[in-house]
Amino acid sequence: MSKSGAANSQNKSIVSKLGGQKFIVLLVVVALIVFFSVISPDFRKYTTFMSILDYSYYIALMAIGVTFPLITGGVDLSIGTGLICYSLTGGYLIVQKGWPVWAGIIVALLLSIVIGCFNGVLVAIMNLPPFLATLCTCMITRGLGSIFSNNFGISWPTADAPGGWFRSIFKITVNGTKIPLGFLWVLLLVALMAFVLNHTKIGRYTIAIGSNKEATILSGINVKFYHIMAYVISGFFAGLAAIAYSAVFSTVQPGTGAGFELEAIGGAIIGGVSASGGVGSVEGSLIGVFVICLLKTGLPYIGLQANWQQIITGVVLIWAVLIDIMKKKKEKVV
Amino acid sequence: MEKIKQNPIVKKLGFNRIVLFGVLLLMYLLFCILSDNFAGLPRILSTLNYAYFLGFLALGVTFVIATGGIDFSIGPVMFCAALVSGYCLNSYGVPMVLSLIISVLVGALFGTFNGYLVAYWSVPPFIVSMASMNIAKGVASVFTKTQSVSWPQGVSEQGWFRKFVKVGNFPVGLLIFLAFAIICSIILNKTKAGRYILSLGSNKEAVRLSGVNIKKWEMLAYVICGTLVGIAAIFYVAAYTTVQPGYGDTYNNEAIAGCVMGGTSMAGGLASIGGTVIGVFIIALLQEGILALHFTKDYQLIITGLIVIVAVYADVVARRKKN
Amino acid sequence: MGEVILTMKEIDKSFPGVHALDHVNFEVKKGEVHALMGENGAGKSTLMKVLTGIYKKDSGTITFEGKEVEFHNTREAQDAGVVIVHQELNMLGHLTVAQNIFIGREFKKGLSIDDKKMNEEAAKLFKKLHIDIDPTETMSNLTVGKQQMCEIAKAISHEAKVIIFDEPSAALTETEIEELFKIIKDLRKQQLGIVYISHRMDEIKVITDRVTVMRDGTYVGTLITNECTKDDIINMMVGRVIYEDPKEHSMVKSDAPVVLKVEHLNAGRMVQDVSFELRKGEILGFSGLMGAGRTETARAIFGADPKESGDIYINGKKVIINSPEDAVKCGIGYLSEDRKRFGIVVQKTVAENSTMAALEKYMKGLFIDKKAEKQVSEEYVKSLATKTPSVDQLVVNLSGGNQQKVVIAKWLVRNCDILIFDEPTRGIDVGAKNEIYKLMNKLAEEGKSIIMISSEMTEILRMSDRIVIMCEGKKTGEVGIEEASQEAIMNMATREIG
Repeated sequence: MSKSGAANSQNKSIVSKLGGQKFIVLLVVVALIVFFSVISPDFRKYTTFMSILDYSYYIALMAIGVTFPLITGGVDLSIGTGLICYSLTGGYLIVQKGWPVWAGIIVALLLSIVIGCFNGVLVAIMNLPPFLATLCTCMITRGLGSIFSNNFGISWPTADAPGGWFRSIFKITVNGTKIPLGFLWVLLLVALMAFVLNHTKIGRYTIAIGSNKEATILSGINVKFYHIMAYVISGFFAGLAAIAYSAVFSTVQPGTGAGFELEAIGGAIIGGVSASGGVGSVEGSLIGVFVICLLKTGLPYIGLQANWQQIITGVVLIWAVLIDIMKKKKEKVV
Repeated sequence: MEKIKQNPIVKKLGFNRIVLFGVLLLMYLLFCILSDNFAGLPRILSTLNYAYFLGFLALGVTFVIATGGIDFSIGPVMFCAALVSGYCLNSYGVPMVLSLIISVLVGALFGTFNGYLVAYWSVPPFIVSMASMNIAKGVASVFTKTQSVSWPQGVSEQGWFRKFVKVGNFPVGLLIFLAFAIICSIILNKTKAGRYILSLGSNKEAVRLSGVNIKKWEMLAYVICGTLVGIAAIFYVAAYTTVQPGYGDTYNNEAIAGCVMGGTSMAGGLASIGGTVIGVFIIALLQEGILALHFTKDYQLIITGLIVIVAVYADVVARRKKN
Repeated sequence: MGEVILTMKEIDKSFPGVHALDHVNFEVKKGEVHALMGENGAGKSTLMKVLTGIYKKDSGTITFEGKEVEFHNTREAQDAGVVIVHQELNMLGHLTVAQNIFIGREFKKGLSIDDKKMNEEAAKLFKKLHIDIDPTETMSNLTVGKQQMCEIAKAISHEAKVIIFDEPSAALTETEIEELFKIIKDLRKQQLGIVYISHRMDEIKVITDRVTVMRDGTYVGTLITNECTKDDIINMMVGRVIYEDPKEHSMVKSDAPVVLKVEHLNAGRMVQDVSFELRKGEILGFSGLMGAGRTETARAIFGADPKESGDIYINGKKVIINSPEDAVKCGIGYLSEDRKRFGIVVQKTVAENSTMAALEKYMKGLFIDKKAEKQVSEEYVKSLATKTPSVDQLVVNLSGGNQQKVVIAKWLVRNCDILIFDEPTRGIDVGAKNEIYKLMNKLAEEGKSIIMISSEMTEILRMSDRIVIMCEGKKTGEVGIEEASQEAIMNMATREIG
C-alpha cells in the first residue's frame, strides 16, 4: 500500500484538488438543477427556488451538527425528533404561556444543549453504542415534545403578528420580493463550523477520536470531554434547526420529526463523511443536503410522488457508504 | 441467594428470567391496584393484542442482535408489509391468503436486503437500518399513494384472518405467538443456524477460521428477522385494522427494549428467546397500564427509552467486569 | 559515551503463571546506542514497558538522571524525557504529519490552532533530522518507513533524553534503514541515550555500542559490541540448558508420501515465493524470528488471508483454497497463535467449541444431536486429558493449556489430516507443554501431518523431523533434524544486510 500511497499524494488528481467527493457531489447538485429545470418549466420559477431553500435550512443545520458525531465514528439519531421537541417546547412557552419570543428561543436552545450533553454522556462515559443511545434519546425527545405541548400542534407567531420578527431572520420581503436571508446564515454557520472542525482543538480531537481513539487517549487528551462536545454540537445545531423549522413552517406537530435525521445524516454521508469516522467536512455535508432537498422538492415536478425521495435517499445512502467501503478495500489490497 | 441460583430448576429456567417474570407479575398487580378497571379480561386481551406484533418484531430482532448487529428498520418495514399487502388486497383484489403471503414476503425481502449488505459488503448495520427504514417508508407511501389502508372487519367474508388473534374471547394469538417463540428457541439453540449465529456474534473470526461460511449465516439472521417482521404485520392489522404510511418508528425501540431486557446482549453471542418473550409482555403491559392510568403514550416512549439505556448499560458493565 | 543517564536495577515482574522479569539489570549512558537482544519472549518488551509506565514493576528501582523515578503512564515518561518508538505505530491516519507530531500540545493563536507554526516547527524538526517529509501530508499517505520517521520526530520534539526503538527496522526497506541509522548516529552525537531492540545481528554490529542480552526473563550479560563476535551474542541468546533431548533423527518413514506441497506462494510482503513439502506423519518445524512471515504463510495456505499467487497440492492433487471453508474441506486445520481471538469462542461450552468445525456430523435431521455432540466431546476430553469439570463448561473458564486442547479437539473431531500448529505452547505452563508435545507426537504416529510454527528453539529441535527456516517473508533454509543445530538455525533466521 505504502509506495503507491506516496505516489498518489504527489500527483493528486484535479478532482481531489478541487475537494474530492465534495466537488463531484456539487456537480451532481448542478446536474439535478439542470435536469429538473429542463423537464419542468414550473421548476424554474422563483417560488420553487424559495421553497427548496425553505426546506433546506433545518436539514442543513442538522447536517452541520451531526457531522461532528459522525466524524468521531458515532451517529446521532435523536436530532430529528429532538428538533420537534425543542420547537414545541419553545413554542408552547411563547404561545400558551405568553413568554417573549427571544426567551422561548433561548429555552429551546438550552434544551437542545442538555439533550446533546445527555447523548454525549451515554456514549462517551457510559460507553453505550452511539446508534442505540441516540435511538433511545430519539424516543425520549419524541415523548417529551408531546408532553410539553399537551399533544397539540403549535404555531409560532406569524410574520405580521407581534413577536413574528424571528421569521424575518430567515426570509424578508423587500418591495414584494422575498429574499432568502436564511441561506446567508446557513453559509455563515458552515464557515464557522468548518473553522471549528479544521482549526480548533474541538475539531482536531473530533477527527482524532474518529481516526484512532486509543492513540488519542495515549496522546494524553481528555477524550471524554471532546467526545461529549461532538454530541453537544450536534444537539445545539438541532436546536438551531428547530428555530429555522418554526420560522419556516406555520405549525409544528407533536409526534413528527422521525426521519428528519436521516435526511441530515444522509446528506452528510453523501457529502463525504465516512461512516467509519475520521473523515468529513462541514461544507461537504451542506452540499450533500442539497442533493436530498433537490430530490425532495424536484421529484413532484417530474411527475413522481415526493415519497420517491425517501426511497432514493435510502439507496443513495447505501451507495455512498459502499463507495467508501470499496475504496478502503482497494487501499488494503494495494 | 447463591443457593437459589444453584437450584437445578432455577438454573434451567434462568435466574434472570425468573426475576423478570416476577417483575411482570408485580407490574400487573401494581396496575390493578392503581387503576380501577385494570383487572379483567378486556385489559388482558388488549395487552395481548399489543404483545403479539411486538413479540414477533422482538423475536426477529433477537436473531440480529445475537450476531452482534442491529436492525431498527423493523417498525417501518412492518408497516410497509402491512400497507403493501393490504393495498393489494383492497385495490387489486388479491385473495386474502395471497395477501398474507405477500406481507411475509415483503418482510423477508427487506431482511434479505439488509442481511446481504451487512454480511457480504460489511456495511455498518446502523447505516443499513437507516436506509431500509427510509426505503420502507418510501415504498409504502408510493405504493399506496400515501393513503391509509384498512383491512377487512371480522364480520366480513375476508375477516377470517382475525381468528389468528382471537376466536370469541379465546386468545388464539397467544398460542400462535408462543408456538413461534418455541420454534425460534429451537432454531437458536438446537440447529446449526442458531449455533453459528450465536457463535459468530461472540467471535466472528474464530468461527470463520473453523471453516464456517459466516457470511451465509450472518445474512440468515437478518432474513429470519425480516420474515418474522412480515408475520408481525399480519398480527398488527388483525388487531388494529388500519395502517398509515410514514409511521412505525416507535416500535423499533419497544422491540429492542423487550429484547435487551430479556438478557440478549447488544455485543452479540448471548440471546434468550424466553427472556425476549417476557420482556415483550412487560413492554405491552406498560403500554396498557400507562393508558389505563390516563397518561398518553408519550410517557411510554420515554420509559422504554430509559429501560433500554439501563439494560444496555448493565450489559456493558457486566462485560467489563468479566474482562 | 558519557555518564550513565538511566539505570534499571533488579527489576522483577510477574504475570499470573509467568515470571516475566527476574531481577533484571540494565543501563543506558548518554551518547550510546545500547542494543537489547534476546529471543522472542525473553522479556525485552516487558522491560521497556515497565520503564515507560505501561506495566507496574513488582520490585526493583529505576534511576533516571540520578533520581529514582516511577512513571505511571507513557505520558509521564514522555514529559520526563523517556520516549518509546513503537513497532506498531500510534498514528492518526486522517491527520497531517505536523498535526500528529503535536497532537495534544498544539500551538494556539487566539482561539484557533496555529497550523502554520506547527508545520514550520515540524519542518525544522525534519531538517534537523535530515528527513525529507512534507509536514502537511496526510499521515496515511506515507510509507510505513516515513511514518516511523514521523514517530521519531515526535519523540525528539518531546525533548527526549532517552529514546527506545522497538524493532524499528522490521517494516523498513534497505534505504529507509540507512536513513534511520543516519538519524540514530545524529542523535547519539547529541548525547541522547538510545535503546535499540532488534533481532538483526548485523544491524547490531553496525549501529550499537553495547549489547545486553536477555533470556527467559533474566539478564544474561552485557558486551561491548566492538569486542565481540556475532557468535558470542548468539551463544548468549540460545545458551540455555536444554532439558529435553533434541530429536536425534526423523521419525518419518523414508517412503512416506507427500501430503501437502506448496509452490511459489506469494501473499504480500511477508510471504514471498515460499515453497515446501510436508509428508505423511511428519512434524515440520517452521523456525524464524518474530515477523519472519511464518504465521502469514500459514494463514495464506489456510485461506484466512488472500494470496497473490502460488499453487497448493494435497496428496498430489492441485487444490484451490480461497477461504478457511475451502481449507477445512481439504482436511487442513489451523491452530492460531492467538487462541482467544482466533481459536475459541470463549462464551461457548467445551462441547460447542469441539464440534464447531464439524457440526454437520452431529446433526439429526435439522437438529443438533446434543447427545452425540456430548459423547464425542467427552471422548476427546478423555483422550487429550483436558481438565474441565464437564463438557458443558464455558471455555472461558479453562486454563490456556486446556483451551489449546479444546482447539486441537475441534480439528480432530473434523478429522483433519494436516494440522498447522502456530506457537502451540505459547502462554502454557511447563507441565501442559509436555502434554501438548506428547499429543503432537502421538498424532504424527497416527499418520497426521503437522506443521509446527515455533519461536522457541528447544521446541523446534525437540519436536521437528525437518525444519524450514524463514526470514523476512522468505524461506532461507531447510534442514533435516539430523543436521540441525541452534547456531545454524539462528544464523539462517537472522538476516545479513549488505
